[in-house]
Amino acid sequence: MRYKKHESTVIEPDMTPMIDIVFQLIAFFMMVTNFEQTQADERVKLPSDQLARPPITSREKVLVINIGFKRDREGVKTDPTPYVFEGDVQTPVLKYGPRLKEEKRVAEALYGPGGHKDMIIEIRADSETPTGLVQELIKLSQEAGFEKFSLRAKQLIR
Amino acid sequence: MKIRKSRISATKIEAQMAPMIDVVFQLLIFFMLTLKIIPVEGDFNINMPIGQQATESPDITPPPIKVRLIANEDGSLSGVQMNQRQLGNDGLAFDRLNAEIGNLVGRRDNPFADELEVEIDADYNLHYRFVISAVSACTGSVSPKTGQVIRYVEKVKFAPPRRPEG
Repeated sequence: MRYKKHESTVIEPDMTPMIDIVFQLIAFFMMVTNFEQTQADERVKLPSDQLARPPITSREKVLVINIGFKRDREGVKTDPTPYVFEGDVQTPVLKYGPRLKEEKRVAEALYGPGGHKDMIIEIRADSETPTGLVQELIKLSQEAGFEKFSLRAKQLIR
Repeated sequence: MKIRKSRISATKIEAQMAPMIDVVFQLLIFFMLTLKIIPVEGDFNINMPIGQQATESPDITPPPIKVRLIANEDGSLSGVQMNQRQLGNDGLAFDRLNAEIGNLVGRRDNPFADELEVEIDADYNLHYRFVISAVSACTGSVSPKTGQVIRYVEKVKFAPPRRPEG
């Protein structure tokens, strides 16, 4: 009996469609990715509201203040005191006055004397922050020379 | 002399796709790791004048609408009042506030509709989200038909905070 010798065949898949799919994914991520350094701190759980709409024109002179709580991985508060978050630095709200005066000096250096007066302070406060502390922060900002304020909230989409 | 006629057959050069896929995967992983999904945020402008105005305006401005937000000890909402009128503390309290403000602004015989100002007086320990709900209720409403925002009061301010003793 003669056995036919079967040559082993290596199946080489065509890689072209895979590259097409990967290019599609890259194009999607390139459109969606935002490299702008936003000052929004993820630790702050903003309240949500239907009327919270982003401003029509982007603001040039903005100072963002993030107020939140120290939380664990489950989101439970580990410290009842709210802090102002600036990267790794956490400052109690009532002790933020000197930092605000520093920001005023920076604003004046950047935009000239009186440059801080049309700067908008955007307050991103956690939902459970005591209202009085937000008001105290506004008062400290006014003492530092700032005059315009806005309260941030997440947009609630129903 | 024998001329060798060498057949030069056209050879197709096939580009290697595997390295291209490697580079493309590197780019994909970079974009996947740097992607940050941020929910859309909006804001409410508030009017916080410093002290009193230097020059008195000759125009007669209407008194501000006083909205009082009362808190429980744990910071939750105990009650909402508008000009001493109770609006409750349930989920519809801010809807009632919105309706009252809408009635005030929408009245045709109100000549001061554009000059209306709301003053929010909230307890010190009230959770901030209730204040946002109050500011939103005073600022306007979303039309259920068109989805457009109808503006009520543009000027919203806070009463001075009352720090608890101790």
